[in-house]
Amino acid sequence: MATLTAVEIGVYALAAALYLGYLLGLRKAADKVGRLVLALGVVLHFCDIAARCIHRVNPISSTPEAMSLVAFLIALGYLLATLRYRLAAAGAFAVPAALALLVLARVVPAETDAPAMGSLGRAHVLLASIGVAVFALAAVLAFLYLFEDRQLKRRQFGRVMGQGTPLDTLDRLALRCVSIGFPIFTIAIVTGAMWVARLGLLRQAAALRPEYLFAVATWIAFGILLVARLGAGWRGRRAAWLTLGGFGGALLVLATYFLRHAA
Amino acid sequence: MGASAIDVLILGVSHRTAPVAMRERLAIVPEAVEATLAELTALPSVREAALISTCNRVEIYAAVEDADRAAQALAEVLAQRAGVTSLELGAHLYERRDTEAVQHLFRVASSLDSLVLGEPQILGQTKQAHEAAVRGGTAGAVLNACFQRAFRVARRVRRETAIARNPVSVSSVAIELVRQVFGDFAGRQVLVVGAGKMSELAARTLRTHGATLTVTNRTRARADELARRFGATATDWDDLPAALTRADIVIASTGAQRPVLTHAMLSQVQRARRGRPLFLLDIAVPRDVEPEAGRLSGVYLADIDNLQKVADEHREGRKSEAAEAEAIVEQEVGRFVKAWRGRQLAPTVTALRSHVLGLAQAEATRVAAAMPSLGERERRALSELADGIAKKLLHLPQMALRNDDSDGLSMVAAVQRLFSLQVVAAAATEDDADEDDGASARAGEHLVDDKKAAGR
Repeated sequence: MATLTAVEIGVYALAAALYLGYLLGLRKAADKVGRLVLALGVVLHFCDIAARCIHRVNPISSTPEAMSLVAFLIALGYLLATLRYRLAAAGAFAVPAALALLVLARVVPAETDAPAMGSLGRAHVLLASIGVAVFALAAVLAFLYLFEDRQLKRRQFGRVMGQGTPLDTLDRLALRCVSIGFPIFTIAIVTGAMWVARLGLLRQAAALRPEYLFAVATWIAFGILLVARLGAGWRGRRAAWLTLGGFGGALLVLATYFLRHAA
Repeated sequence: MGASAIDVLILGVSHRTAPVAMRERLAIVPEAVEATLAELTALPSVREAALISTCNRVEIYAAVEDADRAAQALAEVLAQRAGVTSLELGAHLYERRDTEAVQHLFRVASSLDSLVLGEPQILGQTKQAHEAAVRGGTAGAVLNACFQRAFRVARRVRRETAIARNPVSVSSVAIELVRQVFGDFAGRQVLVVGAGKMSELAARTLRTHGATLTVTNRTRARADELARRFGATATDWDDLPAALTRADIVIASTGAQRPVLTHAMLSQVQRARRGRPLFLLDIAVPRDVEPEAGRLSGVYLADIDNLQKVADEHREGRKSEAAEAEAIVEQEVGRFVKAWRGRQLAPTVTALRSHVLGLAQAEATRVAAAMPSLGERERRALSELADGIAKKLLHLPQMALRNDDSDGLSMVAAVQRLFSLQVVAAAATEDDADEDDGASARAGEHLVDDKKAAGR
């Protein structure tokens, strides 16, 4: 299993390097080879997760395993999106992000004092992982939007032209990701709250752990974004910044879990 | 038929050799092309002819018997048509023969000889020239083979190099930039403010991609007139803010001395648009849009200098791609000439083989008939003996024919005369280019057979 993990990290790293190469001008290589390498990485990653399941270490049993699942979902989601859209530039952000999450997940040991999960806990971890992965994809698209917007604003037209994804496509795709991720994340928060209540943690001093606050902040940010976009037709740069802000909250949740268990 | 590889001759003038005054005198209008082609093929020693006449070049492509005579006759016709003396024309005229002519045609079709490197029209114009010659019955085996291959070479250059990838005109650069924001133009609203030449070109292109056009002008009558010309709807100048709120793309080219689209106006408009992106193409001089407006969120602004700069960069980029394209042309010329020789060779090799092998078998049959006592085994041995001797004798002449690069066709002629061979020339069809390699490969197969025979 350790060998498989090493190989899959190596393959992701190669894919990440190719996609970063895309930004530096090696276009054909990134678009074609990068996608194939990434596909191989996703398959290996899937085998890795499956192998761990066989060894009774399922992807929602601990924070590191859930992180690995999030990385897998980001890579898979990006790969599927490239089948329909020209998104090679987004790969330069999405693939390194998936790689970083996976590496973190594999170097940090699983927590030993984890409370009994139960079906509520499992549902919470699974839904939260999917929600965060979808938000991560939205954040990648929003980041790319801001990147291209800046190039156009600075009139670096020669650099923008013929590459990258049209701003409008990035905007629409990011909206789609948020509208898929938001309901999932909402249920994740509800199940999480119920789980915590059942464990009786609410009555303890730990009731206001920072990750709860971050999770609610994330939920509120994406909620405002959706209402503003769907209700008032709000879009463009401000929407992109808010998407990044919301995902920042989700990252903080992950980071707190991490720091606690790594400590 | 001389000792040359391919009897093609090109005579013409282009933007490289002749000023526009000379080119327009030589230009041949499309209606006159067929008659001119008939006139050219009526000349002695001109077997086939085709004509390319564009604003940048006038060229005659001909398959000829005697290149010197043909060149002189064709030059005289050209001079006469243009109403200049042969001497005057001679100063601008260039001539390409044989392999160089093939190379020239390949370069022209691939847009390597164009004023704007990699421009796409020339391939279409070359195709039209060939079609006109086919219609007029003045294109035969030689020109058909050359043109067909030229089209394939042009497609290959386009596919394998970036010579035609990035736009080099201001209006096409503008279109590509806008595409970077909106992706596609179906259902997009384009507002044309004022009416410059370049705005017309860009607006028309956007409309063919599915955008809806609205035109506005200070005078309503002028706006109506433009709307009719563009296939657009007209709107009042006073409605400009409302029209801007609806628009996705604005093409501004008024003759106004001061900016008509101010920062204040656009800032208000953009608030009403709630961040929806707006692309402003300002191709007026002096400028129509206040430069500060480009800083508004969701507003993208490109002026004529920005567009021109990108166009210039792309033009430079094409120059560096040209070297790669030239290498492809070079390679294709080599292949074509080799295949052409192979095709000239194949029928002769086949005729020679059937002649000699037929003779040998006839002799064997005659001897066998005279000796009725021979059994089946002996008869077969006799037939094989005749075949073996014939193949051994054929081996060296065939090798010599194939390997004679310098003067291949005269050797072919010699063999035809020595053996009184009736050679049926391969008829050139549209698929010839593909079959060329097959023909030479078949000639090669015979060689392999005979090497075995020689070894036995």
